[in-house]
Amino acid sequence: MTVVIQDLSYAYPDGDWALRDVSLRVEQGEFLSIMGANGAGKSTLCLALNGIVPQATGGRIRGNVTVDGMNTKEHPVATFAQQVGIVFQNPESQLFSATVEAEVAFGLENLGLPRDEMQDRVGWALDLLRIDDLRDRSPSQLSGGERHRLAIASVLAMSPKILVLDEPSANLDPTGRSELLSALKDLKSTAGLTVIMAEHESELIAEFSDRIAVLDSGRLTKLETPERLFSDIDGMRALGLGVPQVSEVAACLNRKFGVGLNLTRYQDAHRSLRALLNAR
Amino acid sequence: MCNVWFSYRDGDDVLKSVSIRVQQGEFLALIGQNGSGKTTLAKHLLGLLHPREGKVLIRGEDIHGKPVGEIARRVGYVFQNPDHQIFSATTREEISYGPRNLQLGEAEIVRRTERAMERFDLKVHAEQQPATLSFGTRRKVALASIYAMDPQIWILDEPTGGLDWRSEQATMTLLHELNEAGKTIVLITHDMRIVAEHAKRCIVMSEGRVVAIDETRRIMEQAGVLEITPPQVWRLACAFDLQPLSLTAEEFCWEYGRRLATESEISVSRS
Amino acid sequence: MHDTDPRVKLLMLVLTVVLLLVFQNLWIMLASWLLILILHRSAKVPRDRIRFLLRALLPVTILMPLIWVIFYPAGEVVISIGFINIRGESLAQGLTVALRIQAMTFAIFAVLFTTDTDTLMQGLVRLRMPYSWGLMLSLALRYVPNFANSYSSIHQAQQARGLEYESTRGLKRVREMMPVLVPMIIGSFRSSEQMSIALEARGFGVPGVRRTYLSVIRFRALDWVLVALGLIVAMALLALNLAYGFGTDPIAIFP
Repeated sequence: MTVVIQDLSYAYPDGDWALRDVSLRVEQGEFLSIMGANGAGKSTLCLALNGIVPQATGGRIRGNVTVDGMNTKEHPVATFAQQVGIVFQNPESQLFSATVEAEVAFGLENLGLPRDEMQDRVGWALDLLRIDDLRDRSPSQLSGGERHRLAIASVLAMSPKILVLDEPSANLDPTGRSELLSALKDLKSTAGLTVIMAEHESELIAEFSDRIAVLDSGRLTKLETPERLFSDIDGMRALGLGVPQVSEVAACLNRKFGVGLNLTRYQDAHRSLRALLNAR
Repeated sequence: MCNVWFSYRDGDDVLKSVSIRVQQGEFLALIGQNGSGKTTLAKHLLGLLHPREGKVLIRGEDIHGKPVGEIARRVGYVFQNPDHQIFSATTREEISYGPRNLQLGEAEIVRRTERAMERFDLKVHAEQQPATLSFGTRRKVALASIYAMDPQIWILDEPTGGLDWRSEQATMTLLHELNEAGKTIVLITHDMRIVAEHAKRCIVMSEGRVVAIDETRRIMEQAGVLEITPPQVWRLACAFDLQPLSLTAEEFCWEYGRRLATESEISVSRS
Repeated sequence: MHDTDPRVKLLMLVLTVVLLLVFQNLWIMLASWLLILILHRSAKVPRDRIRFLLRALLPVTILMPLIWVIFYPAGEVVISIGFINIRGESLAQGLTVALRIQAMTFAIFAVLFTTDTDTLMQGLVRLRMPYSWGLMLSLALRYVPNFANSYSSIHQAQQARGLEYESTRGLKRVREMMPVLVPMIIGSFRSSEQMSIALEARGFGVPGVRRTYLSVIRFRALDWVLVALGLIVAMALLALNLAYGFGTDPIAIFP
């Protein structure tokens, strides 16, 4: 299942163009991150992936987004629920039920699934996000991080082929973040889940992404692997974006010693720097 | 000298006999996992929450029974969500709300408001409705409206959350400036890179208790016990036995570079 | 009480409200009021919730007898304070109205406190209410605690900027509250907008799909017994009322 975005431009009803001529193709099983300064259009691009933009938001749109050959402009948003799961930034506004269990079941009920299948899927999703022990609690009693995990479990229970996350790090502490992303990495390799994540945390992005799309005032300015993108510190800074700390180290050592390092992930950095020491 | 001493026991045990002391003019980070009680503790410093037991002292004075508005003259609190405070029809009015509550003269209110708008490049938005501005700009409005109150102590709850790198840098530059000018900074954050680069001391909280108060370097050294993940360069420095361990990328570069140089000298002398 | 089918609870609620409206007698009202409070305690509703309701209803409870005593004079003068004559019947009527309002409120909250919103919604849907209405209702109910939370954090944020309520009533108080009210309103607009988007994204209203439910509510034997019992008692009380004037007089139980 692929996502194809073709020459997409979009403007909110009372606003300027939020996306300008974005073209992008995401393959099944890929982990794509979207970076960009505040207001560059990351959230808008996320919302365009299941037709919320423009169907619920109105405004002007040019170009197309197709998911598995279906144009998101032409089918109701709800029909994409089984293909594209979206987890919004603010977990409060996406929880509707009186208990954690009922919350995860909500989407499945909407799909009209039989009860025993629902029970299986609810159990699976609660286990995956490690909130099984909260089953009977009310979502309003949960902490911010737990609520965010619940929102993700509720979306994953519908077994979408594509998971869209809008700034997951905003509500999760560092432990919560890496736990979540490790779980998603597993799903990606076992079930071929495609993940599209809008995020600021460069170190998190570097660790998990296959490719990174960079938006600048609504335009797709870069589409590269983490290695290539984060080696250009000056380019990233010019866009107002950060890089992992190990990439800063690489730039600094390259400047001083001309060693030609390219570091993006901690583990690789550890290995390369050790090798460099041993070589001398 | 500004003493905040504090101990508290709650029915839900949100805070369990916590005692801390914040020195005047220091840059302090308040860290710990979600739900460890950081925000609850910070809210006590302003008298927004009252301890069931124990007390909070500012400059040796018990703040119990004092109206929050009175404490707000000395202590500024920037909330996590800027939308919890934005209510005015224009950015200028929004920023002047705090100074107005301090019952300053009209001329002083205007002066402070303009200075705050200047400092945060908000002049262009002065007549716009702040609620309609972008998220990053709303954050700046929230900061500016505390800045205009000019408190001696600043408490900031995740002021960089959800911000891009440039806005994050700008926020940290502001905190540095304030700290240089003698203001006390208490920063609640998850970002250990920011902690390592900026904070002089840290308070680590876990399940409602203060589990450590120490210099940032000493806190990082105990990372394993305290269940925190130090920044990448610190972990690398540990792995390569660099001394002193690095808090910033520059420090790491310097130490690692030195090691690289000595290693090659050794290998030269061997050959 | 917690496990009773929500439809039974709703039926009981309707019967209770009808009976409370029919009876005009102070003693019967007092008895009903006590019964409903006992129901709350036996259903283990936390004391502070009951206290909260009592406090919220306090102004009405005081106002009603006053209005009746002053504007609807009836019966013998019992006490006179200055130029106000307190007449027995007016006082009884006023107290009855106050108790009725309390009893009805407590009856409604007895249902709300003992039923989670999902179950209540399912009960309503099974009674032929469209699912989307049921959902809106349960979202609205859930919104109350959210609203209280956002009030307290916004209030704190503004206190930190020196907000203090000085006047206690009237327009001035409303003006002082603006810094809290405006962010609350903007916030609830934003979140309701996001909520409707999130609902669709979770497949709410997929065309051509019949919704299923994870937990299904069912009438048990006890529920049938309760329905029968409720109907019989209500009918009997109404018959007594119509035939013998049971509870029609403000003071005497049988006139």
